[in-house]
Amino acid sequence: MNSVGEGCTDMKREYDQCFNRWFAEKFLKGDTSGDPCTELFKRYQQCVQKAIKEKEIPIEGLEFMGHGREKPESSS
Amino acid sequence: MKIWTSEHVFDHPWETVTTAAMQKYPNPMNPSVVGVDVLDRHVDPSGKLHSHRLLSTEWGLPSIVKSISFTNMVSVDERLTYKPHPQNPEKTVLTQEAIISVKGVSLSSYLEGLMASTISSNASKGREAMEWVIHKLNAEIEELAASARGGMRTPLVAAALAEK
Repeated sequence: MNSVGEGCTDMKREYDQCFNRWFAEKFLKGDTSGDPCTELFKRYQQCVQKAIKEKEIPIEGLEFMGHGREKPESSS
Repeated sequence: MKIWTSEHVFDHPWETVTTAAMQKYPNPMNPSVVGVDVLDRHVDPSGKLHSHRLLSTEWGLPSIVKSISFTNMVSVDERLTYKPHPQNPEKTVLTQEAIISVKGVSLSSYLEGLMASTISSNASKGREAMEWVIHKLNAEIEELAASARGGMRTPLVAAALAEK
């Protein structure tokens, strides 16, 4: 899967691989010991946030049903 | 204004379904999704994982829909909730709802019906997509387990794995 920022796709895929592994092997098993993906995420974020600004994608102030964040009961 | 709700049971445990939801794209049922990005992700103090994602799509929208969207008169929000089945932990219940918000205009029942039927058929496609992703993930796990068993492979299987 690609990123909205063409130059960010490789970073995105590296981060995704890390997250998917952490999600299945740690998070879902109740292991909250730490996040091995923070560095990868930082790098990827720097790239994608820049791309979003450059493409003028309006992500500010997007709400769901008038709420800035998801309601607590929506998460399992 | 809630215009459509639905409930569906997946014959897979919640962990499998949520893993698939995280990796839903790409899939052959949603060719118009061309990009997925994570804008924010964190685990809150109660242990809940929050992911804020941006999906990039390439749709051929009918011009009336385009003009309505651009004047910010109508927005459609969709909420999907996956929960472990209360009676069977091997199953997962998906509750889905679509909410239309309209500014200063009342939506005709015809338009509402049209949108509800589009949302419904997309939801059906979405469930099909989830089944496809779940099947793919399970197959990958199987393949990893098989290769970990090492020397038990027959020559035919070894050739197939080598080809991949």
